[in-house]
Amino acid sequence: METLSYQDVNMGVVDRCREGDNRAQYELYKLYAKAMFNVSMRITNDYAEAEDVLQEAFISAFKNLHSYKAEASFGSWLKKIVVNAAINAIRKRRSELVPMDERLAGEVPDEINNDEDTEWQVEKVRKAIQKLPDGYRIVLSLYLLEGFDHAEIGEILGITESTSKSQFSRAKKKLLEIMREPQFAA
Amino acid sequence: MKDRLEEFVSENREAFDVFEPRPELWQEICHELPKAKKETTRVIKFNFGDSFSLSGNLVFMRVAAAVVLLLGCALTLVLMKLNAPDTNNTLAAAAEQAPLNRIAPELVEVEAYYASQIEAKKSQLSAYDLKVLGLDKDQEIDQELERLNTSYQQLKKELYTTPNTDKVMDAMIQNLQIRIRVLSRQLEILQKVEQLQKQQTSEPQKDETANV
Repeated sequence: METLSYQDVNMGVVDRCREGDNRAQYELYKLYAKAMFNVSMRITNDYAEAEDVLQEAFISAFKNLHSYKAEASFGSWLKKIVVNAAINAIRKRRSELVPMDERLAGEVPDEINNDEDTEWQVEKVRKAIQKLPDGYRIVLSLYLLEGFDHAEIGEILGITESTSKSQFSRAKKKLLEIMREPQFAA
Repeated sequence: MKDRLEEFVSENREAFDVFEPRPELWQEICHELPKAKKETTRVIKFNFGDSFSLSGNLVFMRVAAAVVLLLGCALTLVLMKLNAPDTNNTLAAAAEQAPLNRIAPELVEVEAYYASQIEAKKSQLSAYDLKVLGLDKDQEIDQELERLNTSYQQLKKELYTTPNTDKVMDAMIQNLQIRIRVLSRQLEILQKVEQLQKQQTSEPQKDETANV
């Protein structure tokens, strides 16, 4: 997703941020705030909490800019911070994330639906994702929208790679199920 | 493994970012960011070694402020104590310290009454041209009045220092009464002189001995 040239564009700004340049900080904020806010929104599923996470993440990013070694793009480095902050926030709120969903998994029908019949609309999918239980929503969002692989998700959530995989497929089933609900289609 | 959902999401990835944080959020973030550059340019730091920094140590600054304040208070107290005996020795200063109407409130009225009486007598006296009347004793009267006045002022000063204000007050009132009596006597004398002079002018040859 992030190319080397894209990285280089930001390096000057990042260097100025390291020196405490307020305008450079704002430049980076403007560039990433919306994307990072949506990452945070998808994990927390709460506007106020997502904002708190965004604020915390940006502050910690600017304070720890010296630890950014430019081995990844600034965007993906920042995204990691946002994701971790969001996961921490949601952990404080709800004691269990994944275990609850293991029990729920039984209720999800096993058959793989041919989803050609469902009408594909961004808003519909997005809202269906929002309706997913926390554990499902987080794994699905991280994999599908934030572009993390299952190994990374496992690391972030403190679960195994295979748990992440199974969790994701269950989440997907649940999502399609939600989308097929009559009140949801309306 | 790529199914319809995954394809759809990757095709429409941008459209999934629908939320925007409040515009004010940046200000909130800004407040909590360390302003390394600005601080060094704006704040003047006084450094006296490593452990002793005036700008950095808030507790130290507070303690320093308290010490300065205490020293200031102590200094003013000491100066006041040093000055106190001096001011007590001078009666004028004592008079200033304790207002008259607190020691002898009635004296203000008494003084005003006699002052008006004395003024009246004096204006009556000034109506007579003493030199014309051939009386050069006015100097003697003025001297007498001046003597009374100085003793009155002396009494007034004593009022602030003696515990027995009643006696002093009586003496003061007596002083004022004497003044009035002196003035009245003078006035009487002058009136008599005037009468005699009138008689003299009407019968100059007849009553030459009456003048004496």
